[in-house]
Amino acid sequence: MSNFFFHLRPRKVPAQALRFTLTYGLGGAAALMIFLQFLTGLLLNFAYEPVPVHSYLSVQHIQSELFFGQLIRNLHHWTGHFLVVVVCLHLLRVFFSGAYFKPRRRTWYSGLLLLLLVLLANFTGYLLPWDQLAFWAVTIASSMLAYIPVLGIPLQELTLGGTEVSGATLHLFHSFHTVLLPFVFFVSLSYHFWRIRKSGGLKIESQDTQEMLPVVPELLVRELSFAAVVTCFLLFFAMFFDAPLTAMANPSLTPETVKAPWYFLWLQELLQHMPPLLALCVLPLSFTLFLLLLPFPGQKKEKMPRLVQLILICFFLAIVALTITGVWFRGAGMKFILPW
Amino acid sequence: MIIEKKARSPRYPGRRSFLSKIWIGLGFVALAELIFGGISFFVSSRKQDTENSPPLIVNAGSITSILPGTMTFIHAGNCYLSRLKDGGFLAISRKCTHLGCAVPWVAERNQFECPCHASIFDNTGNVIKSPAPRALDLYPISFEHDMIRIDISKPIKRAGFAPEQLAYSQELS
Repeated sequence: MSNFFFHLRPRKVPAQALRFTLTYGLGGAAALMIFLQFLTGLLLNFAYEPVPVHSYLSVQHIQSELFFGQLIRNLHHWTGHFLVVVVCLHLLRVFFSGAYFKPRRRTWYSGLLLLLLVLLANFTGYLLPWDQLAFWAVTIASSMLAYIPVLGIPLQELTLGGTEVSGATLHLFHSFHTVLLPFVFFVSLSYHFWRIRKSGGLKIESQDTQEMLPVVPELLVRELSFAAVVTCFLLFFAMFFDAPLTAMANPSLTPETVKAPWYFLWLQELLQHMPPLLALCVLPLSFTLFLLLLPFPGQKKEKMPRLVQLILICFFLAIVALTITGVWFRGAGMKFILPW
Repeated sequence: MIIEKKARSPRYPGRRSFLSKIWIGLGFVALAELIFGGISFFVSSRKQDTENSPPLIVNAGSITSILPGTMTFIHAGNCYLSRLKDGGFLAISRKCTHLGCAVPWVAERNQFECPCHASIFDNTGNVIKSPAPRALDLYPISFEHDMIRIDISKPIKRAGFAPEQLAYSQELS
């Protein structure tokens, strides 16, 4: 056991690397949450049936009949949502510590891949309950795909397995969610951890006072207690807030308010304000390109220019503002409403 | 013996490194084949439903039962059958061209109103109010004796309404 632990971690770490505010424990929290998702997902998959109608009934069955079923589904549901938030904050933290230049460039790229995986896992999981909320959210989100020039419509048909959300879609989403994505998660998360170790651990501001402390118990105790706090928080949240389950999916009845999953809602919101090509292709692509090219310009200086910082802050604030508008300020027919 | 000497001399890279390069090359070819095979398998498993599907014919009732100037919801096909004042038929898809919501016909205001983003369409499926980018899709209509049949497996995309999209039954024309 300790052998395995030291495989991931060095024997000694700089005292500064133990400071909580260096990382806010975000990466660790994300890893823990992914692990929790593996566990709760594994349990849920024992009782879940990936066929339309049956899937809805099996979720109902999980919630009402199974021992701790509601709690486990809640935990899986809310952890998934919190995971998106934590992973985004983790990205911001790494960005502001400038920890994406060489030798941490590959860690940054594997991190971006993990962000994509988290979004994909969340989105594929969104459809599985097969209720009205899931069905129409996936309908809207996959229809946004179709606006991408040339590739859009084939990509949409490939995703849906037809022209609309159906059993074929559910089948694909389920196999992605429970087989392909966990496998890719395992590989890329291992790579992510390995790269952190290879590039000499966390990035520390000043290297003058090199007081080294043993990892056991100093780091181990901190990590375990933080993991306990995060797990407690998620457990309490799952105890008090039930995961939503609306009426069963009905392809011929669109509910009053239909929104994409909240992490794609900024795209839907953009679509209201500008032409589809700009909202769904140019802007998201340029943001992705920005994140991909980030490690390149400053390789020599190690210090990022103010302009780059400003661009990311603007992008981020815009996405947050659009998401908040989409989630709380949009009512029936996506009309602007006040939530109070 | 002579060959062996040649193989060791630096001027000849030798069979060993040549063969190992071939092995590596073959490895990449095999990898490419595997990836190609995997992707093709995946794509073909997805395409099954859409491309080779037989026409799904839905019976929409007799011609005489649907009066000119009406809109009828065809439950079996989950689509609308519009008959214009001049007697022409249009089978209109319910799928909003904006983001795919199901559009209901609102009889009081004589228009389709999308619940998601408030797009409005008229009785030919034409856009009255955006954000919908184009008219609602159509389904091919055929007539058999006095029955109207709609093929709901093949939606037809269109920019807007044109008179040639209307289907007329032969007995009436």
